[in-house]
Amino acid sequence: MHELSLAMDVCRITEENVGRSALPRVREVGLEVGDRSGVELGSFEFCLESLLAQPPFSGAVPRIERTPGDELRVTYVEIEDGDPTD
Amino acid sequence: MAIRRIEVRERVMAKNDELAAEVRGRLEAAAVPSFNLVSSPGSGKTTLLERTLERLGPELRIAVVTGDVQTENDAVRLARHTDRLVQAVVTGGACHLDARQILTALEEIPLADTDLLFVENVGNLVCPASWDLGETAKIVIFSVTEGEDKPLKYPKMFERSRWAVLSKTDLLPHLPFDVDRAVACAREVNPDLRFFFTSALTGEGMDAWCDFLRAHARGGAEATA
Repeated sequence: MHELSLAMDVCRITEENVGRSALPRVREVGLEVGDRSGVELGSFEFCLESLLAQPPFSGAVPRIERTPGDELRVTYVEIEDGDPTD
Repeated sequence: MAIRRIEVRERVMAKNDELAAEVRGRLEAAAVPSFNLVSSPGSGKTTLLERTLERLGPELRIAVVTGDVQTENDAVRLARHTDRLVQAVVTGGACHLDARQILTALEEIPLADTDLLFVENVGNLVCPASWDLGETAKIVIFSVTEGEDKPLKYPKMFERSRWAVLSKTDLLPHLPFDVDRAVACAREVNPDLRFFFTSALTGEGMDAWCDFLRAHARGGAEATA
C-alpha cells in the first residue's frame, strides 16, 4: 500500500521545516491522521518508525493523533535545541 | 537540553494535490473533461473502454492514460482504438496512479485536439480513492460478479465517485446478484451517486453510457469547461 510513500512525505515536510542539518536533533514528529483518511495506522506507524530511526534522523518518535475526517497532516516537529541559531 | 516545538500543520498529500491542481488547470484551459475510471481488478474497465472507443471513436477524439502495473496488455488492447494513448509509468507493485504521472502523461497528449480524457487507474478499490489526479470526476466500475455490499466494504471509493457503472449485466440471469440491493448499498455511502448499467459484451446499456459521454465531452451539453 502507499503508507511508505506517505511516511517519506512526512520526512520531506520535516526537512523542509527544520532544515537538513537539524534532522539528527528531531525528537518528535506530531501527526494528525483522520479516521477516514484511508491510512492503515499500524503500517503507517511502522514505516515512520523505520524511517525516523535511520540517518539523517536519529530515533525521532512519531506521535499520532486520530482525528475525525479525512485529513492527514504533520502538526509539529520537536527538536533538541543545541544551537540557538538553528 | 531545551526542546523546541515547531508548528507545522502541513497536509501530507499536499504535494500530490498541488500537482493535481496543475493537471486540472491544464485540462480546464484546454476544455478537456476527464474521467478517472476506478474499480477492483477484473471489473471490466478495459473492455468497457474498448467498446466505448469503438462506438465514439469516429465522432470524438478520446485520449486514454492507462496504468497497468505489470504488462502492456491493456495498452495494446486500447491502442487499436485510439491514437491518443499513453501508458503511465508505473513500477511493479504500484497500487494507484498519482498526479505526477498524469502530469507527465499529458505532455504526450495533444490537448488542443482532444475532446475527452479517460484515466484507467490501477485495479484497486482502496488506494486510488485517496489520490486526486486532477480529473473532472471519478467513475467507479462495479461488476455483477462482485458482492452487492462492495460499496459498504470500500465506502471511500464510492463516496468519492460521481458516477457508477454496473458492468457485465449480461451475466445477471446466471447469478443471484440483487441489483436493487447493490444500488441501495452504494447510495447508502453516496446518496448522489448515479448509475449506468452496461454489458460491454451484448451492448446493453451502452447507448445511455455513450450519450452521457457525448454530453460531457468538449462542446457537449454538460461540458463543464
